[in-house]
Amino acid sequence: MAEAVKEKILAVATITCTIDGQQITVPKGTSVFYAARQIGIVIPAFCNHDKLKPVGACRMCYVEIEKMPKLQVSCATTATDGMVVSTNSQQVREGRKAVIEFTLINHPLDCPTCDKGGECDLQDLTFSHGYDDSRFGFNKMRFIEEEKRDTFDDLKIGPEIVLNRNRCILCYKCVRANKEAFGEYDIGAFERGDLTEINATPGGEVSNPFSGNLVEICPVGALTNSDWRYKIRVWLTKTVPSICNFSGSGTNITFYKEDHKNFVYRVTARCNDAIDDGWLSDITRYGYQIVNSESRLKTPLIKKGGKQVKASWDQALAVIKKHMGEIKDQSGGVCIGGLISPSLDNASLYSFSKLFRTIFKSNNIDFRGDYRYLPSVTDSPFTIAASQPFSIADIEKSDVIITFGTDLIREHHNEYLKIRRAVNFFEATAYSVNPYAVKTADIAKSEMVYSPGTDELVINGICLAAIEKKLVDSSAAAKLKPKISKLSLSELTKQTGLGKEQFKELAEAISSAKKITFIVGEIVARSLERDKICAALSNLNKLFGVQDKGQLAVLSRYANSKGAQKLGLSATPYEIVKAELKKIWGEYPDCQPRNTDSMINLMKKEEIKGFITVGTNPMRLYPDRGFASEGLEHVDFLVACDMFETETTELADVVLPLCSWAEYDGDYINLEGKVQTGKQAIKPKYEAKAAFEIMELIASQSGVKLFENEQSRNEEIEQLLSLNSVLPWPDDFLEIDYDKKSSRDDYPVPLFICDDPHHSGHLTEKSPSLLNFSDSAYVELSKGMAAKIGVADGEPVRVESPVGKIVVPAKISRVLNSDVAIIPRNFSSTQTTSLLMRKKRVDSVKLTRVEE
Amino acid sequence: MTFYSPVVTNAKEIAGHEKLHLFEYVEDEKQYQLKRYLEHGGYAAWKTVLGKMKPEEVIEEVKKSGLRGRGGAGFPTGMKWSFVPKDSPKVRYLLCNADESEPGTCKDRVLMERDPHVVIEGMAIGAYAIGCHLMFCYIRGEFHHSIERIEKAMEEAYSKGHLGKNIYGSGYDLEMIVHTGAGAYMCGEETGLINSIEGEKGMARIRPPFPAIEGLWECPTIVNNVESLAAVPHIINRGADWYRSMGTEKSAGTKLFSLSGHINRPGNYEVELGFSLQKLIYDANYGNGISDGKKLKAVIPGGVSTPFLTPDKVDVPLDYESLTEAGSMLGSGGVIVLHEDTCIVWTILKLIKFFRHESCGKCTPCREGTGWLEQIIQKIEDGRGGPDDLEKLDSICGNILGRTICPLGDAAVMPIQSTLKHWRDEWQYHIEHKKCLVNQNFGF
Repeated sequence: MAEAVKEKILAVATITCTIDGQQITVPKGTSVFYAARQIGIVIPAFCNHDKLKPVGACRMCYVEIEKMPKLQVSCATTATDGMVVSTNSQQVREGRKAVIEFTLINHPLDCPTCDKGGECDLQDLTFSHGYDDSRFGFNKMRFIEEEKRDTFDDLKIGPEIVLNRNRCILCYKCVRANKEAFGEYDIGAFERGDLTEINATPGGEVSNPFSGNLVEICPVGALTNSDWRYKIRVWLTKTVPSICNFSGSGTNITFYKEDHKNFVYRVTARCNDAIDDGWLSDITRYGYQIVNSESRLKTPLIKKGGKQVKASWDQALAVIKKHMGEIKDQSGGVCIGGLISPSLDNASLYSFSKLFRTIFKSNNIDFRGDYRYLPSVTDSPFTIAASQPFSIADIEKSDVIITFGTDLIREHHNEYLKIRRAVNFFEATAYSVNPYAVKTADIAKSEMVYSPGTDELVINGICLAAIEKKLVDSSAAAKLKPKISKLSLSELTKQTGLGKEQFKELAEAISSAKKITFIVGEIVARSLERDKICAALSNLNKLFGVQDKGQLAVLSRYANSKGAQKLGLSATPYEIVKAELKKIWGEYPDCQPRNTDSMINLMKKEEIKGFITVGTNPMRLYPDRGFASEGLEHVDFLVACDMFETETTELADVVLPLCSWAEYDGDYINLEGKVQTGKQAIKPKYEAKAAFEIMELIASQSGVKLFENEQSRNEEIEQLLSLNSVLPWPDDFLEIDYDKKSSRDDYPVPLFICDDPHHSGHLTEKSPSLLNFSDSAYVELSKGMAAKIGVADGEPVRVESPVGKIVVPAKISRVLNSDVAIIPRNFSSTQTTSLLMRKKRVDSVKLTRVEE
Repeated sequence: MTFYSPVVTNAKEIAGHEKLHLFEYVEDEKQYQLKRYLEHGGYAAWKTVLGKMKPEEVIEEVKKSGLRGRGGAGFPTGMKWSFVPKDSPKVRYLLCNADESEPGTCKDRVLMERDPHVVIEGMAIGAYAIGCHLMFCYIRGEFHHSIERIEKAMEEAYSKGHLGKNIYGSGYDLEMIVHTGAGAYMCGEETGLINSIEGEKGMARIRPPFPAIEGLWECPTIVNNVESLAAVPHIINRGADWYRSMGTEKSAGTKLFSLSGHINRPGNYEVELGFSLQKLIYDANYGNGISDGKKLKAVIPGGVSTPFLTPDKVDVPLDYESLTEAGSMLGSGGVIVLHEDTCIVWTILKLIKFFRHESCGKCTPCREGTGWLEQIIQKIEDGRGGPDDLEKLDSICGNILGRTICPLGDAAVMPIQSTLKHWRDEWQYHIEHKKCLVNQNFGF
């Protein structure tokens, strides 16, 4: 199978066959099903799925092939040269009719109360292929579990999924997708024959981060979710194409909306093979619910006598005009700073930048509110690594895939699934190299877990192993060696905890790869030493010629991080962007650039007096809560724009309600640099406004227009986007200095703050469905670590760092195998980032059991 | 010491017979021990193969012998082995299908319990022929005695260097794993068996890819029946020409038949292919006639998944071609004899209940169809049959036959179709008179 598919992709050879009298030439290995589709013949099927291996279970896709006496299932029959296929002969029609008849005998036909009605494959195919009467004269099989019995025999098998086994036609798509595409095993088929039932694994529930897809691919109403059930009929909704606002890769989605209620009812996939293969993470699928949330900020708020009170837009803007005006007049624009979310669209980001740089004449802006201690230089190794080109589609064309410093299931769902696909379908070899064990490793050939904080040493180890084994060009090796050989390979093994063999294995994998994908993720990007690690990566790239035969990049995390970078939203934009901005505006502030860190520092020194946050929540996300809150509390005048009340809006003098991405048209640039448009689904709820409108309104208070019109704004953006924003790597190998690892025995456990697999950032906790999966913070520990401190799953643990202390329940991980702690940052109820220190390379904590 | 399964065999008649060989030693109480097996020339073929033959030569020899799969399909064994891609970098697996679960068939069990080493030796030779270094013996879970004896024999073989690393100094390594089933007929189907070893549900897989190309863990895999593999050492020892000299032109060699039902002397008998079914049933050395002196009504020649034969066809030679010509199949050799007091409807009801219970549930026609068939046949048996029921049965059987992933669907409907054809009046009688045509009383 895999070979056949590979051939299909590489298109090495073709065959010509005849389908319904039409000749067609297709790549060798193509099934009759897909060959027919290429000439517009859609063969009906229940169990076939474009992204799964064929099973031939439903038998609906029969075709008749000359010289073959029996009907053949087209999904599993490879088209061959000279084959003559008939997809609509008398025999085929009768065969399909029989299948529909068999399928319906135990199907309840409860279409009037079934949510799938109107978009049900069985309904459609029964109308087009079935009998209009039934020959089955017996009672239908019915699954009822008395103690769990609910209306219409429904069974809840997961936080979101409701199963009706009577409707199930056993196409096994859910079980197969779970296994083949997601690597999850929480749903299965049990019993056999006509008693076969799909169900959650005994004692478990279907709660994997991709579980929503099972509902979407169900051809009947057997799997439904509480998100959509009994709320609306599908034909009463309209669809709008959009982009996921929670992922860096810009998953393509479809909104289902209803105009009279101005309500979004659900999100489904809009399959884009180059990005998402039609699979949505649950965050993407259920995250939209924040749009409809009752707890959204409805009107502007202004602080009066220490309390925030409702105000009109005009009142709020007047307050902003007064205070910002005062600050600007008295202290200068350099005393105004701003932080914006990289999940906002291009227009909003660009308007924000233009507001600050042309009206306030300030260079104090940033979009990276959750990265500690960012350097104020434009071409640091990290910035270079983050600007490198990357193609998601190329992952499945790679024969070697290395994931370094990234916990993909918490950061990049699409890439996580693409890697699984590359390994399961195209025989790629994956390696997972991380400071803690991650889920990706279950398909990796080798998993390498190194000591936290030794990232660059691992890279150096790979380079040294390659030099030692003479796997790389000798002149390059001679140049690099003196720069990194302060530590011998054996010392590196001691420091990193990896063996020499492992360095060798990675070196061999990289050097022997024909096409390689080298993914670097958030663990590196969030590290205090991101530049050092990326310098080591620069060396590795040069030594092995990684980019000559593939790709190496630090993936950007948010929906429009790439756009923010390209539009110059950091205090220190790329030189080329800066020059272009100067050209467009005819001016550019020459004051000192200040990124997030230095802005917060300056707040404390009362040198930044006015501050605007847009769609971001530094109080929660900045990896040092003490530092961030001290800064923000010092600000004289804080304006916070957000969809919801957050820790930051609570401090604000003016709060402005922000639109969600579903409420206006916006362009987003995904981590590949691809511009995609998210269309407006509904009118802005309450009094919310899009960020670009707000920026324009603030500018208008100074009597200035940011843009003549929408078109001129778009032209300016277009001009910036046309620039080549890939920064060149340094010409020479870089020296990597080595700092001795300091271990603090009083805080022995390395801590990682990241996203819960069902949440992203600070907004998704407003989605009721996502809360059903995970609703509060926990500390994820390995079995061994939990045993060491003597806690069982769910028991409270005190987590103490030198600066903070929280108590959260323990969650025993199925993946972790070393002494680390992982805590999600997504829940307002726990001040996770209060444990972090902004100048610390590895956050470490002390864990103790909380006695009752 | 008694044998585990007290089954009648024709071992005594075979003793000294220059052709029959599979059952030669099955009445020897110590044959299951390595010592006795070696005394009888055991592992000589394995030594010959490892010492003197190239894998291709082994395949060629087996091809030449005309040995065909004894599990039911009758596919030429040597040809199957040659389908393993020579240049594949993947590991290969040999699986011995010892999940003997076809009702009416109990021949493999005798071999495994009484002559387990010959099975292991045959597996080893097959493994060598396809370049496999890890072979599995998948034994039906209910066969506790077979499991015990094969495991014991395997341990003995390991301890004396017939299995393991560097066997006989040849440099060839071969490991063996005994894997037991968990009670599913489906796992005797080769792809179901592969799924089961992988830890999946016992369900058939679509072909292509055939297991020889992509089987166990997507690696080239050969699945052979116990009896086929047990014949291989004899072929190596005595040569392909000797094997070919038995049986008919297209069905060479000998075959084990399990005789059961209304028969005076049920048992397992080894005969040359082409042997007369009439003789097997009536000869005193074999079945010794129909029980209670009754008349023959029907014969199921190859396990319950093969169509019923009418008495006028009983002189058919037992070989692949002749039985096909007679409208049935050689199958796995489970010959079930039914006498005149048997109700056809009742018999078919028993069969369809079995197939419904064992249908794996993967493909629609078999999953839904077997249940529907059972309900209609039960209705007829209960005297509630309607005038259009037989037509409905014809139609449903036609909608299942040849439309399923694996042969289970065919197996379920072919016996029904054959009885609807040959005993239609009896079905009709049942519907019209709400009772059996015959006076059935078996006491079971």
